[in-house]
This record gives sequence, C-alpha cells and structure tokens, in this order.
Amino acid sequence: MPKTPLADLAYKYVTALLCCGALLFIFFIVVILIPYSYPSFVYNGLKFFTTIIWNPALNGNLITVHGVKALSGSSYGLLVFLYGTLVSSGMAVLFGVPAGLAVAIFLTQIAPKQIVAPISFLVELLAGIPSVIFGFWGILVLGPFLLHSLEPQMIKYFGFIPFLQGPPYSYGFLGSGLILAIMIVPIIASISRDVMTQTPVEQKEGAKALGLTNWEITRKIVLPYARTGIIGAVILGLGRALGETMAVAFVSGSAINIIPPNFYSPINTLSAFMTLSLDSAFTDPSGMYVSALVECAVTLLVITMLVNVIARAMVKQGFIRSAEGVIRV
Amino acid sequence: MKRISSNPRSALSTAIVVALVVVIIVVAAVGAYIAVGTGKQTVTSTITSGTVSTVPTTVTSVSTSTSVSTSVSTASSSISISLTSTLPSETVLETGSSLLYPLFNIWAAALKTAYPSIQFTPASTGSGTGQSSAEKGTVQIGASDAYLTNAQASQYPFILNIPLAISAQQINYNLPMIPASDHLNFSGPVLAGIYNGSITTWNNPAIKALQSSSVAAMLPSNTIIPIHRSDGSGDTFIFTSYLSFSTPSWASGPGYGTTVNWPSVPAATAANGNGGMVTTCEGAEYSIAYIGVSFLQSALTQPTPLGYAYLKNEAGNYVNISQTNILSAANALAPQTPANERISLVFAPGANSYPIINYEYAMVNTTQSAPGMALTLRTFLTWMVAPQYGNSQSFLNQVNFIALPTNTLQLSLAQINEITGP
Repeated sequence: MPKTPLADLAYKYVTALLCCGALLFIFFIVVILIPYSYPSFVYNGLKFFTTIIWNPALNGNLITVHGVKALSGSSYGLLVFLYGTLVSSGMAVLFGVPAGLAVAIFLTQIAPKQIVAPISFLVELLAGIPSVIFGFWGILVLGPFLLHSLEPQMIKYFGFIPFLQGPPYSYGFLGSGLILAIMIVPIIASISRDVMTQTPVEQKEGAKALGLTNWEITRKIVLPYARTGIIGAVILGLGRALGETMAVAFVSGSAINIIPPNFYSPINTLSAFMTLSLDSAFTDPSGMYVSALVECAVTLLVITMLVNVIARAMVKQGFIRSAEGVIRV
Repeated sequence: MKRISSNPRSALSTAIVVALVVVIIVVAAVGAYIAVGTGKQTVTSTITSGTVSTVPTTVTSVSTSTSVSTSVSTASSSISISLTSTLPSETVLETGSSLLYPLFNIWAAALKTAYPSIQFTPASTGSGTGQSSAEKGTVQIGASDAYLTNAQASQYPFILNIPLAISAQQINYNLPMIPASDHLNFSGPVLAGIYNGSITTWNNPAIKALQSSSVAAMLPSNTIIPIHRSDGSGDTFIFTSYLSFSTPSWASGPGYGTTVNWPSVPAATAANGNGGMVTTCEGAEYSIAYIGVSFLQSALTQPTPLGYAYLKNEAGNYVNISQTNILSAANALAPQTPANERISLVFAPGANSYPIINYEYAMVNTTQSAPGMALTLRTFLTWMVAPQYGNSQSFLNQVNFIALPTNTLQLSLAQINEITGP
C-alpha cells in the first residue's frame, strides 16, 4: 500500500481542528452568557436567588439602576423555578432509580439469555424517544389519568399527610416527576447493567458454592461491586432530568409566583420557563427581562455541569474499582 | 482498500457508509436542482418586472411604473385605494403573532398570484419576537397582537404600529352542569377576583349575583381553576387590559402586559398557546380561561364542549361575542384612534360594545433598505388593509377577524405612506 502523506496530514489536522472547535464552542457559550446576564446580576443582586416574585413590569418606564437599564417596578426572583427544577428531578430519581435498578438486575441476573438482547434494545430505545413525545403523552394521557384516577385515590388513602392533601390537578408536581422518572429509567438501567455484568464470575460461582441464594448473591456481591457505578448512573440520570425542557413544559402547569402548596399543584422549571418566556422577554426595551432569563440559564448550566462532572467521575471510578476487583461482601 | 476488504465486517460498514454518502449526494443534488430551478424562475420574473419598471432605484421611477388606479368606494367610505400592478423582485419576511399567522398565510397565497415577483414568507413565532425582529431589522413586517409600550415606543421611534384587522377574545369555562344554551355572565371585577384569588368557588355570591336565577342555582361549590397563558401573549395583554380598565385594584396591582405578575392563587395553572388553553380548560373541570376568538369553534366542539360567557361592557350590559357587538366596539373607539394608532380597544363605550377586542398590528420600520422594498411594503400593506382585497370578509371570516372601520383604515393608509427608502 503506497504511503499517502497528504491524506495523513489532512486526517491529522482536520480532526484536530474539529476537536478544538468543540472546545472553543463551549468556551464561547460561557463567554457570551456572562455579558448577557451581567445587567441582571447588577440589577437583581442576591435577591434573584431568594425571592419568588417574577415581575417583568412590561408597562413600566425605562429607568437606570446602578448603571444598567431596567423597567420601573420590575423584580426578578427564580426561586419558584429553581425549587420546581430540583424537586421534580429529585422525584424522578426517587421513582426512576428503583425501576432502573430492577431492570438492570433482571437483565443481568435473572433473565434467560435469549430475551436479554431484545429487552436491552427496547430499554435503550426508550432513551432515544424525543422528549416532546413524552410531553404529548403526558398532556393527553397521564394528566387526565392523574386527575381522575390516581390522585383522588391518593388523597383518599394518604390525605392525612399534609403535603398529600388538597385538590387533585392534572398537570403539576406529580405528573412532572413521573414523566422525568420514565425518561431517566433507560439511562440508569443501561449503565447499571454494564457495571453489573462486570462482576467476576468466580465470585458469583464461589458464593453459589457456599449456598447463597440468587437474591443474596445480587445483594451481597453484585450490588456492592457495582455500587459506585450505580451512583454515577443515578447522577447522570439526575443531570438529564435537571435539563429536560419540553416534556416538563407540557406537564408542569407552569406555576409562577407560588411555591407549590401540595403534591399535585402546578410547578415550573428553569428550562421550561426560559423557553416559554423568551418571546415576552423580547418586548422589554431595557433588555432586563432577557438578561434575567440568561441568568436563569447560567444557574441551570452551573447546576447541570456540577452534576455531570460528579457523575462522570463516579462512573469512571466505578469501572476502575471493578477492574481492580475491589469488593466488599 | 485491499486491507479493508480483507475484513468482511469493515467491508460491510464501508459499503454502508459509501451508500449513505451516495444517497446524501443524490438528495442534495436533487434539492440543489430544484432550488436552482426556482431561482431561475425568480430571475426571469425579475427581468420582466425590471423591463416594465426600468429597475426601480428611485421613488420616482416607481411612480412612473404602470400603476392601475382602482379607486373603489365601499358602502361606508369613499377612500380611493390605488395599487401598483408590478413590483420589483424582493424577498419580504414576516414573523410574529401566532394569532395573525393563519391570516398572513391566506394573504400570502393571494399576494403570490397578484405579485409573482415577490417572495413573501410569513412565520409564526410570537408577538414579542415579531416586535423585536422588526426593531432589529431582521424582518420587514413584525406581527403583533399588542402595540408597543411607551418605553418601547420611545426606544424605537422609527417603528410604525399599523393595525391590519380586529380580533376579539372570549372567556371560556368548563362547567358540565351548565347547558350550552345558557351563558354565564362575567364582569371585569369578578374575573379579577377569580384571577387574584379572592373568589375561589363557583357558588361565590359575587358570581351568583351576576347570573340569572336559573344559572345561579346550578353553580357548584367546587374550587375555580383559573388558567392563564404560560408564554408571553397578546391574549394576556388584552385580557389583563380588560381587568385593569374595569377594576382599579387590578390596575394598581398586576396591571396589564404580554406577561404580568400573576397573583399566587393555589388552584391556578397555566397553558402554552391558545391551543394549550383549550386543551387544559377541557381537561380540568371547573376551570376558566381566556381564549382568542379564532379558537371559539374549537372550544365549542371539544369532547367536553366549553361554555363561553357574556361580558359586562362599559355601559353595564352583558354582551355576546358577536360580529355586530365587536363592530360596535370598534366603531366606538375608531374616531379616538390617534395618528400613531397605539390605542387599546378594550372596554369600549356603547350599549352593545363587546369589551375585549384589539387591533392586530404590523410593526414596520419607516426607513427601508431600498426604495424598491419600501414600494413593495407600501403595496403589500395597502393590499392587506384594503376592504376590496385583504380586509374583505372572505379572508377575515376564515379566522373570525373583523375588518378595520373607515377612520382606522385612513390612519393605517397614512402610516403606510410614511414608509420610504433610505
């Protein structure tokens, strides 16, 4: 085979260039977010993170505060959206982790070989469904089901718990949590499955020889072995739930200026709120509304980046530990 | 290549990649061919229009082009509207209000046959995007349900607010026990009470007091679910205008705007777009919502049909959302419309005036990039507001809009004539 130096050179530099491009792109996103959100940082200060009132006061007059333009009477606080983002994602983890782990355990420990591949394929297919389709399903099927079937029963039997009282409502806290849970199950299931399949066969065989039951093997050998990897998977799922926009925009009920008083009432999340408010934000001649939305974006970016960095570190560590065979029985 | 073909698996994947690349190239080639084909058409039409108007670089050459004066006097007025029959080749972009978008689409089809040299592309994004795109100059026409606020108008004095048609809004409710033949009555203060949380149940005395005795007896004790728009919206603008103009405490509280500071009502919820308002209201019994008139039919033909209310107007009468009532409201305020046409039509005086109506606006920069573009925009906008063309009921009935009254039409034409080249 003749040498082709030109092709080799092109190969080397084109790939290097594109790689730098990806890095530069992330760099520019951060660089652009900061000046855009600066007026909001100046105008709102720390109040931005401690108040629940989001009032753009679009009919106000143009004023200048601390050198930045704003509309008189406007005030911005993202607490409602931050709260909604965190609790809906938290609930997604609460519901999604047991389900995802159950799938992974079934596929690695119990299922006959013939069905493992098709089920794994279907579970991973679930991860590929566009989120807007989950949103549609949520608004047309899940919402009415919650309102008419599930929530009245929950109120009837668990209504003595304060947070579970109150009128049922189709789109809100519970609906958002459930939709997000369904969306993160495939992430948790597939990563946990990968980690669990790495459990050394010798240890499982040894445990079997000692007379441990299948459940005991899973509990005492497989799960401890895969523990760090599973935690990483959970945090990765959490990252997905935190940033999810469309599905939640459909089913959250888009609360504003109110922290949800019960488990069924409307909530709002940072990403959904940003999407739905941008058009209105363009009507603010001072640009403060857009700036405040960008500050929401910065907040969301910081949260999701932290979560993803932690998750990746843990998944990586999990694999290393598995490879070293460090386990506790 | 030899080494690759020695491995059957990578040979297969190479074959797939090659096949994909071939498919993409073929698709791209076909697309390019089609694009070039249409491009050619535009080029030829440019030449024909160019030969007629001898490449319009100045406004005078435009006026010498064969302008067919079709002075049509409508029953109500004797406004003569003359339109050029040929225009230079231009690309006109429109974006904004999703309420106006269906009408722009119908208009675009008719304009395409009248002026084949113009590429006219409407888009539905939202009133805020329409306003800001016109301000920034990324589109020639920004569509908006609301006029610019005072702060916006002082920031962008070069933007014209040109009414194109009149729209209205109804109050829908999901109360299965009220038969479709009955209509609830609502006043601004009671609606403000529902949306600020001081009226929480349907059988509240304040609501009952407005109804006929038979309807009042049917009202349930359930909690009211007030639904507002989650996205910025011209519908929110006119609904909150109605509340502000009729209820002093609302005016000094949340006020009006495309987004307002909604009071925290535990049962309240929000929906995205008029379509979302219909779906959400239909999905939640005992809810109430404000919805653009274009969606009235859709609201009445849901599996659970929604009811719609009669609203108390400034004269104190409860009026239906009928064409005649919308027209009386428009006629009542048309004489007071200022030259810049930034006026709210909400809560108009008059015994039969329906209280929630508004002008649908085109936001246009007075100074365009080229004289040809200015001529095109003047022609297009004139066509849109002309009673014999765009403002004829054959177009407007399809979206339940009402034509501009004569006074407003004259003001709109005067504003359209302010559009000039650089």
